Amino acid sequence: MDHLTALENKSIFIIREAYYRFKDIAMLWSVGKDSTTLLWLCRKAFFGKIPFPVIHIDTTYKFPEMYKFRDEYAKKWGLDLIVGRNDGQVEAGMGPGKGTKLDCCNELKTNALKQTIAKHGFKALLLGIRRDEHGIRAKERIFSPRDEQFKWNYEDQPAELWDQYRSTVADDNHCRVHPILHMTEMDIWKYVQRENIPISELYLSKEGKRFRSIGCAPCCNPIDSAASSVDEIVTELETTTTSERAGRAQDKEDAYTMQKLRSLGYM
Amino acid sequence: MSKVMVLGIDGAPFTLLETYLQKGVLPNLARILKAGHGLSQMDAPVPDVSSTSWASFFTGTNPAEHGIFGFMELKPGTYSMRFPSYEDVRTPAVWEIAGGTSGMRDSGLKAAFAGAFASPAGSVVLNIPQTYPARPMNGVLTAGFVCPDLKKGTYPAAAYDYLSSMGYMSDVDSNKAVEDSAAFFKEVALSLEKRAKAYEHFLEKGGWELFIGVVTETDRVHHFFYDAAFDASHAFNGEFLAVYDRLDRLVGSLYDRFMDLTGGQGKFMTMSDHGFTAIKTEVYLNAWLRENGWLTLDSGKEYYEQVALGSRAFCMDPSRIYLNVRGKYPRGSVDPSQRASVASELKDALKAISGPDGSKVMKEVYLKEDIYRGRLMDEAPDLVCVANDGYDLKGNLKKSEVFGRSAFRGMHTRHDAHCIMPLGMMTSGRLHIEKLAPLILESLAGADTATR
Amino acid sequence: MDERSLHIVIVGHVDHGKSTLVGRLFHDTGSLPAEKMNEIRRACEELGKPFEFAYIMDNFEEERKKGITIDIAHTFFATPKRRYVIIDAPGHKEFLKNMVSGTSQAEAALLLVDISQGIQEQTLRHCFVLSLLGVRQIAVIVNKMDLVGYSKERFDAVSRDAIAALARFNLAPAYIIPISASAGENVAAKSPISSWYEGPTVLEALDSFEPLKVEEKGLRFPVQDVYEVSGKSVPVGRVEAGRLKPGQEVVVYPGKTKTRITCVMKFMEEGMTEAGTGECVGITAEAALKRGDILADTEPAFITSSVRANIFWMVDQDYRLGLPMVFKCATQEAIGRIDKIYKRFDPATEKTEDDLTVIKPAEVAEVEITLDGMVAIDSFSEIPELGRFVLEHAGTPVAGGIII
Repeated sequence: MDHLTALENKSIFIIREAYYRFKDIAMLWSVGKDSTTLLWLCRKAFFGKIPFPVIHIDTTYKFPEMYKFRDEYAKKWGLDLIVGRNDGQVEAGMGPGKGTKLDCCNELKTNALKQTIAKHGFKALLLGIRRDEHGIRAKERIFSPRDEQFKWNYEDQPAELWDQYRSTVADDNHCRVHPILHMTEMDIWKYVQRENIPISELYLSKEGKRFRSIGCAPCCNPIDSAASSVDEIVTELETTTTSERAGRAQDKEDAYTMQKLRSLGYM
Repeated sequence: MSKVMVLGIDGAPFTLLETYLQKGVLPNLARILKAGHGLSQMDAPVPDVSSTSWASFFTGTNPAEHGIFGFMELKPGTYSMRFPSYEDVRTPAVWEIAGGTSGMRDSGLKAAFAGAFASPAGSVVLNIPQTYPARPMNGVLTAGFVCPDLKKGTYPAAAYDYLSSMGYMSDVDSNKAVEDSAAFFKEVALSLEKRAKAYEHFLEKGGWELFIGVVTETDRVHHFFYDAAFDASHAFNGEFLAVYDRLDRLVGSLYDRFMDLTGGQGKFMTMSDHGFTAIKTEVYLNAWLRENGWLTLDSGKEYYEQVALGSRAFCMDPSRIYLNVRGKYPRGSVDPSQRASVASELKDALKAISGPDGSKVMKEVYLKEDIYRGRLMDEAPDLVCVANDGYDLKGNLKKSEVFGRSAFRGMHTRHDAHCIMPLGMMTSGRLHIEKLAPLILESLAGADTATR
Repeated sequence: MDERSLHIVIVGHVDHGKSTLVGRLFHDTGSLPAEKMNEIRRACEELGKPFEFAYIMDNFEEERKKGITIDIAHTFFATPKRRYVIIDAPGHKEFLKNMVSGTSQAEAALLLVDISQGIQEQTLRHCFVLSLLGVRQIAVIVNKMDLVGYSKERFDAVSRDAIAALARFNLAPAYIIPISASAGENVAAKSPISSWYEGPTVLEALDSFEPLKVEEKGLRFPVQDVYEVSGKSVPVGRVEAGRLKPGQEVVVYPGKTKTRITCVMKFMEEGMTEAGTGECVGITAEAALKRGDILADTEPAFITSSVRANIFWMVDQDYRLGLPMVFKCATQEAIGRIDKIYKRFDPATEKTEDDLTVIKPAEVAEVEITLDGMVAIDSFSEIPELGRFVLEHAGTPVAGGIII
C-alpha cells in the first residue's frame, strides 16, 4: 500500500472510531486546506453523507473567498453546517484593531467555539491539526480530552496503544479527536493533489503572491510565490529552503518567550 | 589550579540571607560560612534584570560589551520586537574561555587568560539564564530562562536524553502563582527536586573543572510572595521558608560532595544576579512619558509599533529609556544633533518624579555614557532609571495611570545581590557582579595567573 | 525497489552509539541532502572537532520535533532494495511504555552493543521487550570495534554474551556484525581491517530481512460499525489480515456462523474486486453483522473466554486481583478480570516476585484473564492486530497485552 493510501486508511479508521464512541460529535471546519482534507476523509468514511454537523467558527474577519468557498461546498456536499459566532463580542466591536491579537483570537475564536459546544452539547470534536505544525503537538494524542476550561493536560495523558483509543471522557469535558495528526504539510498537499480535493483559491498564486495558511484577513500575510496550481505548490514545498522553515521555528520560540515574560510582569 | 563550584541563587538578596542566617533558618549556609567563607553584598549591572545581570556574570563584561540590555530589543531600524538569545551575547562565557571553545568571540577577559589553560577545562553549566540555544562547548550546558525547547537548550544530546528522561523542568509556570498559589508552591518544590537530582547527577558524572548551577525558583517565589519573607502571619510564610529550607539543604549537600571530590581544595561560591525588596507601587514609565508629552501611542497597533510620529522617547522593560531619534527609528522625532540636550532634559524630569506618598521615585537616572563602556554603545538605551526600594519600574505600554498595583509583591534591587566566596578570594571594596568571572578563571587556571 | 518499506527499531544502551550509527546509515546511503551535510560539517569545523555522525541524528530529531523535516513520520533511508523507516525508541531507563508503543510495528531490530562496555542491564531490558513483542529478526551490531583494534578475540567474547543474553528470551540473532559506526566499517561497505569477519554488512543484513506478510495470512475483518447507506446495511471495518473479496464465504467469529460477502465498497470507487490488509472498507453480507464480529476465512487460534497473555502494566497504581477491566482487542470488547497471575517481574532484573495477588507499576506479568463473553484471538506473532489487546479501567488504558 502506498504512503498516501496508508495515511488515508489510518484517518478513516480514526474517524469511524470517533463516531462509534461519540454520537454527539461534530467536525471543526476552518475552510483551510487541513480541515478541508479532513472533511474529504469524513465524506469517504461515511460514503458521501457525513452524519454529524460541521462547525465553522466565524470571526467575521475571514476572507470573502472563504465564505464563498464554505457556502458552495456546504451545499454541494450536503453538510449540516453550524456557523458559530461570538455575537456579543462581534457587536461590541472586538477585532484586530481593538485589544491585542490574543484578546481578539480568544473572544472570536476560542470563546465562540466554547459557546457553540455548550449550545449544542457536543461531547467530541474532530479537528484537522497535524503533528508537524508545532513543537508542542509532538505530545498530542489522537484522542485528547479537554477539560471545561479547554485545558489540555499533556503531561497526564494515557498512552495510545495499537489503535485502541480511550472510550469515555468525564462529564464536564469534551474529547478532541485528531484524525490527520500523523500527516505532514507535504502529505496534505500530495493528498490534495492525488484526490483533487477542492481548496480555496487563496492558496494559489496571483500576481506573485499566495497564502500558505488562511484565516482572518487582517492577520494573514501572503508569501512570495509563483505557484498557481497544487502541482506547483508541491514542487515549491519540495524545494523550500531550510532558512524559511527556520524563520517559522523562530516565530514559535518568540511566542513562547513572550508568554513567559508576560507571566513575570514584563511587557 | 582548583576546581570551582558556583551556585547561583536567582534573586536571593544579601539582606534576606543575613536575616535568615541570624534566625537560624539556613544551617547549612551557616556551616559553610564558618568553614572559611564570607558573605558580601554585591551590585548588579544596570538595569538589574536577570538576562543582563547573568550575561555580566558569565562573561565578566559590561552590557555595552556583551550586548544584553534586557529581555527584549527592537530590530534595528524598526519598532518590531525581538528577543536576544545566547547568540546575541557578544563576549565569551567563562566556560568558553576555560574550555577553549570561545571561537571568534573576544573580550578583555579572554585576552587576559590567553594561554593560561594548559589543557582545556571542562564545565558543567546548568540553568543560567540567557544561554539558550545551547551551543557546543567543552562539557554540559542546559539553558535557563528563557528556554523554549529543552533539546535545543541542552548540549550534548546525551545530557538532553538524561534530563528529558527524568522530567527535568527548565522553569515553573508562573501563571499558577496567581491562579492557584498552593499548586504553584507544589510545582516550585517539584522543580527544585528535579534540579537537585540533575545537579547531583552531573556532579557525580565528572568531567568538569567548573560547575555552575543556578536555582531559579527563588526569583519566581520572590516576585509573587516577597511580602511573605519576614511576615510570620502571611498565609504563605511557611511555604516561603520551606523553599529556603530546601535550597539550604541542596546547597549543603552539593557543597559537601564538592569538597569530598576535591579533597577540600575546591573553591566554592554562591551568588545572586540581583536582590529583592517588597513593592510599594509599580511605576509605569510609558504612562508617565505619555502624561508628560514625551510619547504618543497609536492604539491601533501592537507593542512598540504604537510609537507615533512626534514621540521623543519610549521605555522598554524594566526602565530603559530610548530617545526616538530620527534616522534610527522609522518615526524618529528627535533630531540627532539634539540628542544630548533632550537626554539631559528628560533625565531631570525623570529624577523629579515623586510617588503617591510624596517620596522620590528615582534613586538615580543614568545617561548611557555614565554606566556603559564598550563597542556596543549605539545599542545601549539612552537613559536607564534605578528606583528607590519599593518603586517597581515597568515598561508596560498598556497602562494609562503612572502608579498601580498588580499580583506582584517583590521587585528586583540592584544594590542587594549577594556573594559567598572563600575568605581568601575576597577583595576589599564593594563587589560588582562583573568581577566574579576573573576570580573564577584565576582559581581554575592556578595561582601563577593571579596577577593577570 | 520494493514498494513496501521495512520498519526497524534500533535498541541498546543509550551511550552505545545509536546516533552515530543512524547518522552513518543516512550518510552512507546518500539519504542526506548535501546542504544538511555541509551545515553539519561547518558546525564541527568551528568546534575544531572531527566530523561527528551523531550530529546528523541530533539535527534530525531537532527538526522533527520542530516540524521542519518534511517527512516527519518517516525518518527513512533507502538501499537499492527498499526504504527503511526507523522507529524511535528512547534509550532511557523508564522506557517500557515508550518502547512498547515504539516497537509495536517493528519488523526487525538492530541491537547495538558497545564492544568496550558489553551487554548491560538496559540491553537486557530491550531484548526482553523485543521478545514480548515478537520481533524475531534481530541483528546484533557490535560497535566501536576501532577502540579495540578490531580484535577478533574481543568480538568473539561479546558475541558469546549476546547469544546467551538473547537465548534467555528465546531469541537468536540472525547476524552478529562487528562495526565502527564512526569510521564506517562494515556499515555500508565491508571493512578491509576486520578481514577475519566474513558475514554481511549492516545494510546487507537489513536487506535480507523479510517484512511481516500479514496480507498472506487468513482473512481477519473485525466489524467496526454498521452504517446505513442508501437504505442498505453496510458494516465497515479494516482488513487486519488477508484479503477480502466479493463472493467470499466467511465465518463470523466468535459465534461461528457462516455468511457470504456480497459486495466490498469504498466511496467513489466503483466495482472493487478485493480489499487488502490495512484497507478500510464497507461491505454487504448475507447475515446481519455488528461491531465486534470478526469475519475470517481461516479459524482464529483461540475462540475463548479465557485469555492467557503477557501484560505490561503502564500506570502508577497497582493492580489487585479481581478488579474488573475492559478487554479491547481489535473492535472486540468484553468485561474481564485477571483471575490468576502466573508470574510477575521487573523486566530489568527478571527477578520474579512472590506475591501473586498484585501487579506493580512498570512490571510485566503472565496472567489468565477471564472474560464475560467469547472473543476470537490469534497469537501476536501470527496476526498482530488480533494478538494484542489493551486493558482499560475507568476509561484509561492501564495495560497492554500480547497473546502468547
